[in-house]
Amino acid sequence: MTRLPAIVWRQLGGVRLTVVVLLLLVVDCAMGYWSLRGNNTVFAPLNDVGLFPWARTYGMNDLIHTAWFFTLLALLFILAINTFVCATDRVIALFKSRSRFTRPGRFALKFAPHIMHYAVIVILTGYLSSYLFSDVYPSQTLAPGTAITVPGTRVRLEFLSFDYQYYEGKRLEFFEDRVLSPEARLKLSNGVTERTAAISLNRPVRYEGYGVFMKNFAPKKRGRKNISRPYVEVSIRKDPGVSFYFTGMALFSLGLVMYAYQWLFVKAHGEERQ
Amino acid sequence: MSKHPHIGRLLFVAAVLGAVFAINVITLNGCDRTQAEKEQSFLQIGDFTIKRINPDLVEARDGAGRILALIPRNTEPPQGYTPDQIVRVPVRSVVAYGNFDVSALRVLGVLEDVLVGVTTPAEQWYLDDVKRGMASGKIVYLGDSRAVDFERLKRQNPELVLTWDHSAIPMLNQLKIPCVITSTPVAMCLNARMRYVQFLAPFFQREPEAEAFFLKVSDSVRVIRDRTANAGAKPKVMWGDIYEKRVLVEPGNAWVGELVGLAQSDYLFEDVYGTSCIEISVERFLHSGDDADILFTYRTADSGATSKAAIARLNPLLAKVKPLIDGKVYAPLPHYVQSGHRLDEILTEIAAILHPECYPNFELRFFEELPDVDPAQKKEQS
Repeated sequence: MTRLPAIVWRQLGGVRLTVVVLLLLVVDCAMGYWSLRGNNTVFAPLNDVGLFPWARTYGMNDLIHTAWFFTLLALLFILAINTFVCATDRVIALFKSRSRFTRPGRFALKFAPHIMHYAVIVILTGYLSSYLFSDVYPSQTLAPGTAITVPGTRVRLEFLSFDYQYYEGKRLEFFEDRVLSPEARLKLSNGVTERTAAISLNRPVRYEGYGVFMKNFAPKKRGRKNISRPYVEVSIRKDPGVSFYFTGMALFSLGLVMYAYQWLFVKAHGEERQ
Repeated sequence: MSKHPHIGRLLFVAAVLGAVFAINVITLNGCDRTQAEKEQSFLQIGDFTIKRINPDLVEARDGAGRILALIPRNTEPPQGYTPDQIVRVPVRSVVAYGNFDVSALRVLGVLEDVLVGVTTPAEQWYLDDVKRGMASGKIVYLGDSRAVDFERLKRQNPELVLTWDHSAIPMLNQLKIPCVITSTPVAMCLNARMRYVQFLAPFFQREPEAEAFFLKVSDSVRVIRDRTANAGAKPKVMWGDIYEKRVLVEPGNAWVGELVGLAQSDYLFEDVYGTSCIEISVERFLHSGDDADILFTYRTADSGATSKAAIARLNPLLAKVKPLIDGKVYAPLPHYVQSGHRLDEILTEIAAILHPECYPNFELRFFEELPDVDPAQKKEQS
């Protein structure tokens, strides 16, 4: 019985488990592709309500289309454990053999792939924490001159003005008269200080730990009859996963640079002869 | 397996972990509740949802993804909701922008009691209940939906506004009138179209009426499926129109596309996905026009759809599509858009148009088949 933890540890870190999980992931994602088609309405609220409330409502309500997603979570969980165990085994082995390295720099470069593996786990943890712990205030609609206050805080957003450019080209008739690059100017305040900022699609604003994202806007076309009054629809979210993403990406980049350096300069010059 | 014992063990580990996870998820759903309670606790209708938190609180998610808390009258608002999210039920007075919302109120049997404002003028209404209400002054025309007179709206003192116009939300928030966005970013599928009244029902505490309507329409769909199951050749159908600068069609995910497929026919915009009345390129429209047998246009006779020749005159590009050359073109009658409460009849009529051989001597009530030329023009020619 005393050997059981060691056996489990070895099994969890095995490359065969990696291969099996990756193959299962391919099959599962293929099923996800078919399940997602035409069923966006089931999955879109996941961004707003969080993982567990979503699982208890949308997820369980339509298991035929969501089973692949629960399987995906389980497979990613196993893959994360497998990656952690595998990388940790290699790191321990590397530390044990550190006496073989004469130059500390060369020894450090050997950690490059393991740093990248740990980075992937950090990024996955970030996604999980986003879906578990985010505060989301979806679909807040603002007209020019109106304001909203984030519930439970003194954070206030006032919609000052809306700037946009029309497509002026001639080549894409489909885009004729369409609004391109919509930009809303907001006044952000917390009761003590205030500042103005511009948000647009794909360019959110960060303020007091909250991200403000433009989801929708109007008008979308140059004025003709039936044109909508101007408004922007924003989603406000406090997402603890963001710091994990950035940390993970920074770690991955570091590992990649170290790996590339080792590959280009150390191995290429045949200097690594331990 | 004996050659690869590790793979067998690993698959076993994966299976065990998967089973544990599945058990966890099922446990999260709450095994202590009965099946009936579980079914009632959450209902998804396209983008809309109804979630029963407890007997005194229902959460509704509207077409814009906004959460509304439905609570009985004379009760304290629950924690965690802003004032504009609170709707006291049963709602006693409503302003409705859309025809389909007015039809839904009729299905629920509350139209005459609660409707106090609309955005269609009196002379354009075909529903007797609305005409009576407007004649008596109970229901008021609030101006065009893009230029609503909010002062008049406020005077009508509605407890709820049903609107597709997102830009009205800030103004209604200022007036402290809760609103429901009844349009969705993606076109309603057939199931959502049939169940939409079940989304509105909790606002008026009329769930039995909504359920009865859904069952009635479900029955009509089942009859359509059975009746057209052995129909002959599959007609190819397109639903849309070319306007001055835009080409608008019903996408394949819309209830129209789904119904056409269900009635043993081919919908030629099956690959188009998105909102109702979605804009596509003229080339894509004409490409389908080469194959189509039947065209359903959005235009009514009032907007120029009096004959195939008249439509071709409105836009010469349309003259190239096969239904105008040797197929059939159908236009909605003016009261069609206000007939959502007769959805079962509309679905049956569309099936009868697609497969007249399955519905002999069927009398059209919501659509008309366009002649080749206008009657007056035909007289002149003769």
